[in-house]
Amino acid sequence: MTGQALLWGTLYALPIFVRSDFLLTIFIFTFIYGILAVTFDLIFGFTGQLTMFHPAVFGVSAYMTHLLAVHSGLPFWAATLPSAAAAVVLAVVVGSICFKFRLKTFYFAVVTLAFAEMIRLGVMNWNSVTNGTLGLVVAGKPTIYWPGSGVVPIKGPIAWYYLTLVCLSVTALLCGLVLRSWMGRCFAAIRLNEDLARTLGVNVYRYKLLSFAIGNALASFAGGLYGYYTGYIDPGYLGINQSMEVLAMVLLGGQGTLTGPIVGSLVLTGLPHAIDLRAELRAVLYGAILIFTILVMPRGIVGTLNAWRSRRVS
Amino acid sequence: MFLEVRGLTKRFSGLVAVADVSFTVAHGEIIGIIGPNGSGKTTLLSMMAGLLAPTSGSVLWKGREIHRLRPDIIAGLGVVKTFQSPQVFAELSVFENVRVASHLRLKRELGLRRGLEVLGAARDVEHRLAERVGEVLALCNLGGATQQLAGNLSYGEEKMLGIAMALMCEPELLLLDEPASGLGRDEVRNLEAVLDKVHAAGTTLCVVDHKIGFLRGLADRVIALNYGQKIAEGPPEDVLNVPAVIEAYLGAGHARA
Repeated sequence: MTGQALLWGTLYALPIFVRSDFLLTIFIFTFIYGILAVTFDLIFGFTGQLTMFHPAVFGVSAYMTHLLAVHSGLPFWAATLPSAAAAVVLAVVVGSICFKFRLKTFYFAVVTLAFAEMIRLGVMNWNSVTNGTLGLVVAGKPTIYWPGSGVVPIKGPIAWYYLTLVCLSVTALLCGLVLRSWMGRCFAAIRLNEDLARTLGVNVYRYKLLSFAIGNALASFAGGLYGYYTGYIDPGYLGINQSMEVLAMVLLGGQGTLTGPIVGSLVLTGLPHAIDLRAELRAVLYGAILIFTILVMPRGIVGTLNAWRSRRVS
Repeated sequence: MFLEVRGLTKRFSGLVAVADVSFTVAHGEIIGIIGPNGSGKTTLLSMMAGLLAPTSGSVLWKGREIHRLRPDIIAGLGVVKTFQSPQVFAELSVFENVRVASHLRLKRELGLRRGLEVLGAARDVEHRLAERVGEVLALCNLGGATQQLAGNLSYGEEKMLGIAMALMCEPELLLLDEPASGLGRDEVRNLEAVLDKVHAAGTTLCVVDHKIGFLRGLADRVIALNYGQKIAEGPPEDVLNVPAVIEAYLGAGHARA
């Protein structure tokens, strides 16, 4: 608990001490990817289902939020809600097919990957709406109501820093509430022993679907934010490499924990920039650090810290 | 009729694991199912709990066909099964294991309102359920191990935890698959005491075992299986004297002697 308080406290206080736009930018990307990683961990680390569907939801909601804002004149926040609803619909369609056929582990991963690829190809070839591989420029900015000055657009690193941090906090808080409740117990039961959960009256199909839907719905907010922050959307958002990136973040930070994915996201977003070497050497060192960390800490950074702490207590 | 099994048959490609078995279970009874290894006892129990679909025949629970229902629905109707090899959620504490099993009770009490519980409503229900978990663990003599990880328990304790979880589902009919196998003498005595208490509280028991000794003192009525077929049924002492039963256990020579 103290570890969590320390993490969030540090993150909220950071801009007081750090004024570098470069560093704040790294943190903004960390927070957006953190949303993806935390929600991925809800499905993978807590419910035990290795989903590869996150990039699809990420990309679709990036496009949808932008297109709704442009074509229907909706403000950013209003446009994120239909995008989240679309994410739930996609998750229910894909999830119900996979879970009805009782696909597990790598079979589930491959089939969700295939669905994600299908959606990526669809987005890429729907030129009239998505502008194909050329992508779309996002000119709008999210706005918020600020007491005293009315509705103001989010501009500049500090404003984006806090916007994305608050979004990440809300995501982590919601995931925390779900996991602390009876839903979290059912998810853990499914992860640890599906057959036993079934005989104890847990509707395995329904709770897998619930986990998948909640995870994807929350992940969709990351897509909207990312498109608006970078000002540009292309079909690369839906690529397989995004799945790999998020998986690496969760494994590195610690699967089955809420802070682990955020720490993993921070390390994987920050590390490539922190290594001050020539590009080719940088890639080698980055890869070596990743491999080393996963070999030495199979439970991830936070998992290892937790184990170490509970050993010292007992 | 409480539970009725009608002509239940299970074929695994060529092998007939259970062949046309029929029997009934009355409310409040303790019924034993015996048979040598491979005689179809576990298969029969799995079909009654919905874990296996029968090839033909039916299972009626209070007059309703249940053999085509999912196991979680059957558990919700009041028929719960334990496993022969202990099944637990190894990474959770003993307390959390049984807490998972309180799911049906929560569902019964709150229905869809349990969605709001995620945000902290209905804390009192959750609190009451947590207390009930403590009671069930005390009943099963696991009160001293509540905070241990289930994966660190001994074999006998894991089996007892399996029973505790099943009890937390508040079954009307508890199906126990070889609860005494692999247990030491003290653990068997402990198990008998627990089952006595469970039965006294009004739960009907259906116990599978291949050791006749354990069921002799416990069961009101025993059904003997061999090669998937019912070969005898009646009070334990009578069934043990049926030549076909002696032959199944000890071979043809002993049956004549």
